[in-house]
Amino acid sequence: MHGSSDRSRLWIRVFAAPILLAAATVTGLLAALLWGAIGQYVAWVTVGAPVLVVAWVWVRCRTQKTGQFSRTIRGK
Amino acid sequence: MKARTVRLWSVVHTWTSLISTVFLLLLCLTGLPLVFHHEIDELLGYAPQPEAHASAARATPQAVADAALAADPGRVMQYISWDKDEPGIVMAFTNSAPDGLPDNATVRAFDAVSAKLLGPVGVGPMLIVLKLHTDMFAGQAGKLFLGAMGLLFAVAIVSGVVLYWPFTRRLRFATIRGHASHRVRWLDWHNLIGVVTVAWALVVGLTGVVNTWAELMLNQWKATELASMVAPYAGKPPPAHLASLDDIVGRARGAAPGMEVAFIAYPGTPFTSSHHFAAFMRGDTALTARLLKPVLLDGESGEVADSRALPLYLQALLISQPLHFGDYGGMPLKMIWAALDLFTIVVIGSGLYLWLARRRKRTSARADAFARRAPVPS
Repeated sequence: MHGSSDRSRLWIRVFAAPILLAAATVTGLLAALLWGAIGQYVAWVTVGAPVLVVAWVWVRCRTQKTGQFSRTIRGK
Repeated sequence: MKARTVRLWSVVHTWTSLISTVFLLLLCLTGLPLVFHHEIDELLGYAPQPEAHASAARATPQAVADAALAADPGRVMQYISWDKDEPGIVMAFTNSAPDGLPDNATVRAFDAVSAKLLGPVGVGPMLIVLKLHTDMFAGQAGKLFLGAMGLLFAVAIVSGVVLYWPFTRRLRFATIRGHASHRVRWLDWHNLIGVVTVAWALVVGLTGVVNTWAELMLNQWKATELASMVAPYAGKPPPAHLASLDDIVGRARGAAPGMEVAFIAYPGTPFTSSHHFAAFMRGDTALTARLLKPVLLDGESGEVADSRALPLYLQALLISQPLHFGDYGGMPLKMIWAALDLFTIVVIGSGLYLWLARRRKRTSARADAFARRAPVPS
């Protein structure tokens, strides 16, 4: 029993964010098509969400690198 | 997931991606400028601009058709269209014959008020980019081939999602292992960008595939629906003289209340019969503006012959077009479309790099094993 619930918890942990982003993308793509101007605003946020996630990860990687570099310099 | 299952999905992912890589890169690279083709055409001076007018009285459709024929002597009218996003412009298509090839058609823009010729449409460098993107200058065969590549892309995406689980289950979402090797870092980026763009890539890929079937769908509609609409007129010759386009537009509006004319196909063109005008009507909401309704009108008398909604497969085609082009949500959506296109290029490029890196690693491991097994010369 434990194995199965652990596995489903793990599955949710791995796929929750991708599923949410996919649902947001599809909602946005249809919103702009069906709801006119308001739908366009929804689309900008929801279809743009994957772009924001990638940008956020890229910035996080850059700042971590810069942080490590500064710590190394300070250490010397 | 068993190791054997993972290996099987990995083979599917690798080969569907590898076979389509070059063509997907071509589609992504040409698709990127096509997202902004209006803006690029404007910048390069290939976008006709309507004149400024004090009066709002629009030129009659017949006046625009006459101006189009005067601009292209010896040729015939094929289509005349009104773009809802460019109300100041009317576009006219002329060709050597009503059923002339699309590549031989000349498209010109006319001022909607004065009916003055504003210039050619669909010329310049973006036409080359468009041809590369749609059929690689290989006509219908090129279109169907690119459609097949789109289907391989969809299989690569689905297999990529299946493989996401074994490759990332021990990692938090959006983990990039900065301390790991170059290959592992790129694997993390490949997995992250691939999985967050999965819905967009599937929608754009599959709608692109549907678009490659446009001519087949149109032929099917002509052979079934259109044939049954014009059956009562079977055997009638092409019109000896054409009804006035003003009359055609007026009657088409009467047959489809609350709708506007999107474009009119002249008798003998691929969108209608040899005896009828076909007026394709559009609604005024975001969705109905894309779902066209044909009204068939007698080529000589202008009388309404029939009007039916398009079948589901053609409606699917019309809906799939904006979802592929990304031109229905203003400039911010175009920018997002461009970013997602660039991400897809990164996913394709990193996939290729990962495959090459793994191959190199295997080859060197095999060479090491061989060197260890080889007898040492005495």
